[in-house]
Amino acid sequence: MIDLAWLVVAIPLASSALLLLLGRRSDAWGHLLATLAAVASFVVGLLVVLEVLGQSPEERINDVHLFSWIPAGELSIDAGLRVDPLSLTFVMLITFVGSLIHVYSIGYMTHDPARRRFFAYLNLFVAAMLVLVLADSYALLFVGWEGVGLASYLLIGFWNHNTDYAVAAKKAFVMNRVGDMGLIVAMGLMFASLGTVSFSGVDAAASGLSTPMATAIGLLLLLGACGKSAQFPLQAWLGDAMAGPTPVSALIHAATMVTAGVYLIVRADSIFSAAPTAQLVTACVGAFTLLLGAAIACGKDDIKKSLAGSTMSQIGYMVLAAGLGPIGYAYAIFHLVTHGFFKAGLFLGAGSVMHANGDSTDMRTYGGLRKVMLVTWATFAVCWLAIIGVPPFAGFYSKDKIIETAFVGEGWQPWVFGGAALVGAAVTAFYMSRMFFMTFHGKARWVDEASKLGADDPRPRRHPHESPLVMTLPVVVLAIGAVSLGFLLSLGDGITGWLEPVTGHVDHPEPVLPVPVILTATLVLVAAGVALAWRQYGMNTVPLTAPAGSPLTRAARRDFFADDVNEALAMRPGQHLTRTLVYADTAVVDGAVTGAAAGTVASGRVLRKLQNGYVRSYAAMILAGVVIAGAVLHLVRL
Amino acid sequence: MSLMHYLVLSGILFTIGAVTVLVRRNAILAFMGVELMLNSCNLALVAFSRVHGTLTGQVMAFYVMVVAAAEVVVGLAIIVSIYRARRTVSVDEPSLLRN
Amino acid sequence: MTTFQPPVIDWAALTPVLVIVGAGVLGVLVAAFAPAARRRSIQVVVALLAPLAALGAVAWRWSEVVGGGESTFVAGQLAEDGFGLAAQMILLVIALVGFAVLASRLPGGEDAFTPQGASAPGSAYEEAARKAGLEQTEVYPLALFSLAGMLVFTMANDLLVLFVALEVLSLPLYVLTALARRRRVLSQEAALKYFLLGAFSSAIFLFGVALLFGYSASLTYADIGTAATASVGMDGMAVVGLLMVLTGLLFKVGAVPFHAWVPDVYQGAPTPVTGFMAAATKTAAFAAIARLLYVAAPGFAWDVEPALWVVAIASMLVGTVLAIVQTDIKRTLAYSSVAHAGFALVAIVSLPEGGPDALLFYLLAYSFATVGAFAVVTLVRERDDAGNVTGEATHLSQWAGLGRRSPVLAAAMALFLLSFAGIPLTAGFLGKFTAFVAAADGGAWPLVAVAVLASIAAAFFYVRVIVLMFFTRPEESDEPQRQRAQAVAPGALTRVALVVCAAGTLVLGVWPTPVLDLLAQAARFVV
Repeated sequence: MIDLAWLVVAIPLASSALLLLLGRRSDAWGHLLATLAAVASFVVGLLVVLEVLGQSPEERINDVHLFSWIPAGELSIDAGLRVDPLSLTFVMLITFVGSLIHVYSIGYMTHDPARRRFFAYLNLFVAAMLVLVLADSYALLFVGWEGVGLASYLLIGFWNHNTDYAVAAKKAFVMNRVGDMGLIVAMGLMFASLGTVSFSGVDAAASGLSTPMATAIGLLLLLGACGKSAQFPLQAWLGDAMAGPTPVSALIHAATMVTAGVYLIVRADSIFSAAPTAQLVTACVGAFTLLLGAAIACGKDDIKKSLAGSTMSQIGYMVLAAGLGPIGYAYAIFHLVTHGFFKAGLFLGAGSVMHANGDSTDMRTYGGLRKVMLVTWATFAVCWLAIIGVPPFAGFYSKDKIIETAFVGEGWQPWVFGGAALVGAAVTAFYMSRMFFMTFHGKARWVDEASKLGADDPRPRRHPHESPLVMTLPVVVLAIGAVSLGFLLSLGDGITGWLEPVTGHVDHPEPVLPVPVILTATLVLVAAGVALAWRQYGMNTVPLTAPAGSPLTRAARRDFFADDVNEALAMRPGQHLTRTLVYADTAVVDGAVTGAAAGTVASGRVLRKLQNGYVRSYAAMILAGVVIAGAVLHLVRL
Repeated sequence: MSLMHYLVLSGILFTIGAVTVLVRRNAILAFMGVELMLNSCNLALVAFSRVHGTLTGQVMAFYVMVVAAAEVVVGLAIIVSIYRARRTVSVDEPSLLRN
Repeated sequence: MTTFQPPVIDWAALTPVLVIVGAGVLGVLVAAFAPAARRRSIQVVVALLAPLAALGAVAWRWSEVVGGGESTFVAGQLAEDGFGLAAQMILLVIALVGFAVLASRLPGGEDAFTPQGASAPGSAYEEAARKAGLEQTEVYPLALFSLAGMLVFTMANDLLVLFVALEVLSLPLYVLTALARRRRVLSQEAALKYFLLGAFSSAIFLFGVALLFGYSASLTYADIGTAATASVGMDGMAVVGLLMVLTGLLFKVGAVPFHAWVPDVYQGAPTPVTGFMAAATKTAAFAAIARLLYVAAPGFAWDVEPALWVVAIASMLVGTVLAIVQTDIKRTLAYSSVAHAGFALVAIVSLPEGGPDALLFYLLAYSFATVGAFAVVTLVRERDDAGNVTGEATHLSQWAGLGRRSPVLAAAMALFLLSFAGIPLTAGFLGKFTAFVAAADGGAWPLVAVAVLASIAAAFFYVRVIVLMFFTRPEESDEPQRQRAQAVAPGALTRVALVVCAAGTLVLGVWPTPVLDLLAQAARFVV
């Protein structure tokens, strides 16, 4: 079955191609085919997992050779699949959550005339993401990397008749590009210093890298990861990416694509191990982003943008864990998996809420929705408890491990990282509870459609209702995962043991604070955060329009001026450069070409005067030709 | 009289013939220039033939004479037809085809 | 008295020439004695059968000769070798299609030649001749004689034979140029210019012959070749002689600075004659140049090469640059043929090994396109108010929108133009490619560079016509007061010629290997 692992990629890819090629003819059944393809991919993946489970742990790293891809002399890259526990974890996450979101989208996009195209893009995304995680070389990974970037662009800008959405898609794509540059240069450096870009090759030879070179490669890989995973300094696109349909936000910008950066860092373990500085930078970036994302999420009234900030923050946790070295890899992946479930659940739940509220995303117009959307409330609650880390839900298991690991080390590092992780947990509890209470509890800030209203009443008219089964069922499944996965994946060796062939066996050193202390501190801070949120948003009335707020709040609403900084530092100079280049192209290059053409015509006009119609002058030309040629030849011979 | 003299004479005649073609406006006279050029070649051929002791050059001269005669036929036919049309034998007159 | 030693004449080797000459003589007799009503049809039959028979004869001689049977005969004055036979084959194919176009008539029965050559244009006599339905059927024997001269031109191994053949091929062409049906004044002017300049350059050629004879004491190429390697004195005379001989030949080819006659004569001559002349004279003259350079002159080719380089570069540049500023289609094609002379010259200038085969292939490709293009030009005509077909519409603006009215014809013309331009999938591309590769093998890199640049620039005026035909509405053209042109339905003969030319262009472009292999194996000179 391992040899057939390529089917996992091929099935959704073929489905996507079919739907795009057939066009309108497949409108009636396109969404069903796409969902089926996702499910089939999951089934094949599951069979592969079962077979790998049958292997002994030492042989669980399988390289499946597919075909010779770039036979370019010294640079000979073959296309193949790396089937090992790490990639299989991702495969399971992507295909399972992906299939659920496909089912959800059937309901969510019922009224959209371009639904088939949406599903084609979703399949394309799934295929590309699978290529990314199953690739056996950085080059093939890059193909998947670009593929998900493309799919993300297509899906964010799906409703591109709205200019703002199209601009958001472009922004996401361009910022991703900056990160991609990092990845490309890293690959180039890898090839230049190691002569190979395949995982097996790099892993074998990386210890021979000089530290500056390893640091350079590591930092460049980090840049690529930041672009894809919306970490500082390339995080500004994630909020805007919420312009896409909510299933897109759930799948791509919560569960899968944004985790690709974490995957890359874990895969490049051999390089990071040779470059402690790069690892440190990674951990710092992770720690900073987790606080930044949390702060942004606190200030947002848009439910999706707040969830985006939350994603940024949670991935910050994962990046922090990955930056701590082999001791943190397994936990990063653990949190990645659990996060995939509960964040997707939160997004899909938010989608249901938006659906019920006439597609409004402003939490200030929600309130009291528990009464009308019970199932959504329940699943959202489960995911909420998971993300803030309340035992026995999934987030508790995974996030706590990260916090513990953050407190491991010497010098200032454990205190800074551990402290950041703790504070992050508190803030996470606050903003997630804020979201939960603002949406489902408190007094309703909307009025039912049928009721009578005064002309000046600012409250919006709504008719919130529960979503149909096709939309609620996937969320329920995700919620079940959010409840149980943490516990299940910690059974026995758990996920750490499963990932050991990849991450290597690590003894977990003791953190600087005793584990029970960390545990208690975390729970206390979480409870405090929830209580604060309850007092602010559950008990008190929430104003319908956002109050001025403190400077910090205002800054959080503006994403801490990230967009302004990007514009000043990168966008404006970039535009100037492009304008100059375009001018140079038209003036210089085109000018040279038209100049040459004009010159030719001008010389033609001059030369034609020689052809004056008089036969005597023609005869003179002949004679002159002979005489001159003869004279020149004679002179040359002399 | 050495070979050089004959060659120089031949060259002079050739040049005169060429200049005639270039300078004279009358088509018949221009053609006479061509004939002069051909005959200068004849002179050169015969001179060389004498120097090398073969008859080849003289035979060639015969051929040239025949060909020149044939050329005259064709040339005069063309000139006469132009004369019939334009009432002139100036070579500068027919210059509608230009540029 | 010594016994008379008759010369050894290999009559078998002369068969193709004899067939054509015989047909020409027959044509003269037919023109003199056959009844007026049947004269033309008999002439056409003879004129078309003769090249066919000659082609068969060449094929027979090919099987005898190629691969070991090469020889010179008539005391070394004529050569029968693969190169000569291949060139003759190309000439006969050109003759077949060219004569077909020559012989074709418009739907109203009008052919391309004046009813009475001796009449003054615009006179009552001419009108009477036209009403009486007279025809100048002497056109066909004239063409046949010219063809015979061309065939001998390719076999000539001796300067005397070369000269005679040159004149035999030229004189009928001078006459044919004067016999256009419409625009007779231009036609006569073209004939006068062709004749005067042709005679002038023949005279220069002859002086060169005299000098070469003086140098080597013989007129045969073999002797000149050995004399070049043997003696060292009087080299200057030989070089000048060779230069003057080449002048005469380059004049026929239309290379700069001996090209001035080309635009005027191509424009003034009757279009079928232009087509035949442009293709066949070029082929024959290039074959003669090739034989001269490779057999007689390899010893001092080194001296003459710089001059040839200049001629080639100048031809390509001048031909291209002047064609860009033209407004008449025949004149455009004329300048383009000047440029093509340059391109073909590139293949042999540095005397590379593969030069002769590349040259022949290039000429074959070029000839198909030339005869085809001029055949199309014969079909695009103006109409007068009464709707009768009048003269040819040669101004480029009149060709606007032709693609809409006559798509097949415009497509054929586009194919020929693309072949001229050297676009892949046409014979012209492969011709250029093989020629440039041969030149590069010989070390003439700058020539190839100039050739490629000139080809790129030349594509402009070829594509301009295509754009005019397909993408321009007639009302948009620059001079709306010119009458709109219409393509006349081609007669059977022109149709056949167009099909053969188009098929040749495509087949040689897509699958040239058989022809290329044939040429590579055969194109050898006998010394």
